[in-house]
Amino acid sequence: MKQENKQTISGRDFEKYFQVKNLKKALEIKAKYEDQILLIAGATDVLVENYEKLHEIKNWLDLSRVKELKFLEVKEDKLILGPLMTHYELKNSQRLKQKLPLLAKAAAAVGSPQIRAKGTIGGNICTSSPAGDTLSALLALDASFKLQSKIDSRLVKAEDFFLAPKRNGLKDNELLTQIEIPLYPEESLSFWAKIGRRKALVISTLNLALVLYFEQGLIKRAGVAVGSAAPTPIRLREVEELMLGKSLAELNYRELGEEVKKRVSPIDDIRGTKEYRENVVRDTMVNALKSIEKRREGGKNAD
Amino acid sequence: MAKLDVEITVNSKKYNLKVGSQERLLDTIRKELKLTGTKEGCSVGECGACTVIVDDKAVNSCMILTAQVDGSEIITVEGLESKKGLSPLQKAFVEKQAIQCGFCTPGMLMSALALLKNNPRPNKEKIKTALEGNLCRCTGYQQIIEAVETAAKEWGV
Repeated sequence: MKQENKQTISGRDFEKYFQVKNLKKALEIKAKYEDQILLIAGATDVLVENYEKLHEIKNWLDLSRVKELKFLEVKEDKLILGPLMTHYELKNSQRLKQKLPLLAKAAAAVGSPQIRAKGTIGGNICTSSPAGDTLSALLALDASFKLQSKIDSRLVKAEDFFLAPKRNGLKDNELLTQIEIPLYPEESLSFWAKIGRRKALVISTLNLALVLYFEQGLIKRAGVAVGSAAPTPIRLREVEELMLGKSLAELNYRELGEEVKKRVSPIDDIRGTKEYRENVVRDTMVNALKSIEKRREGGKNAD
Repeated sequence: MAKLDVEITVNSKKYNLKVGSQERLLDTIRKELKLTGTKEGCSVGECGACTVIVDDKAVNSCMILTAQVDGSEIITVEGLESKKGLSPLQKAFVEKQAIQCGFCTPGMLMSALALLKNNPRPNKEKIKTALEGNLCRCTGYQQIIEAVETAAKEWGV
């Protein structure tokens, strides 16, 4: 039998609910309340995490109306995103699909239409789940995050941001205000895959992002990152380096798969065993390379 | 106890409410507005039974605070029926026998409506994607997909 909703029988309520309209105000509030305030944007993670204990949250900072944090623009050699861009908006952005199809594809795999409509990329980043679908894509694409406080701001590389499951480098007085992704002139091909028990509404058992940039047939830059295979989503720089300066034909896909496998440290959980994840991450890397090879031969630019 | 003033339009009717920050849109719809067509299933965004339309997009009402939808236009399953009777989408669900126990139906209808409002001629893949956030444990997916196809084809929305 369905229990009574405990949210409404707690008898207590919040002290402060700030629905701010601009970033300046948001930063002032964050500076004042530091870790004593809960941030929400799309709220899709927060309301699940705090189900049946919403009444315990005293102070709320609702960022969903800060319009200046919702944008997508190309500036010189960078694509810059506001953290309030929803997965729905990213998935449907023609500009993103053209410039960074890898990220558009990852955003399209998040949750369900209902979750994509509300959930934001900033939320995905700040929740910092090892399984966050857009995170492997951001890592492979060499993204940086602008962390801003009332007094200053700093740029942190995605690979330095994630510290432990659901823990990151944001200080108590900081907000994520911008996501910067470099755009390179070379031809690029990418692959993103999510392994799970069904297509929709699964937390990744594993996800893998691969992007290769070619110059005259040789790999000039590479990005490899995996999710749900370590305490945080991780970028595999050493595997990237193994591919640099080579053509696809010179790569041994199976060996590269093994190199990926060597560098992950997954756990056994309800979504899959450690052994399963290690084997599947290897095979997914092989599939990623094969997929890029196929498209390169076909002369298609991007997935 | 602090309360926030929220104005929302639900099924074309305006409501001025005082809500707590802990109140989810689902709670407001069911308990304050007594619109119990919207169902609470899993409470954590997995099942889609609580799906409603907020500003033209299907969302899980268990995952939004009412305080966040101030000023929004909301449609619940009760908004489908008019004086003329069932909407074409509802009729298609009945005709195709897309309902078994009925618990998922309000959410399915809302996801389907959001799709058809946005894309009146969806193909099967688009329909499946639009409904991927809604679970039916009587496993009647095929009929549901056919009902949405029928609604799109024969009557429009």
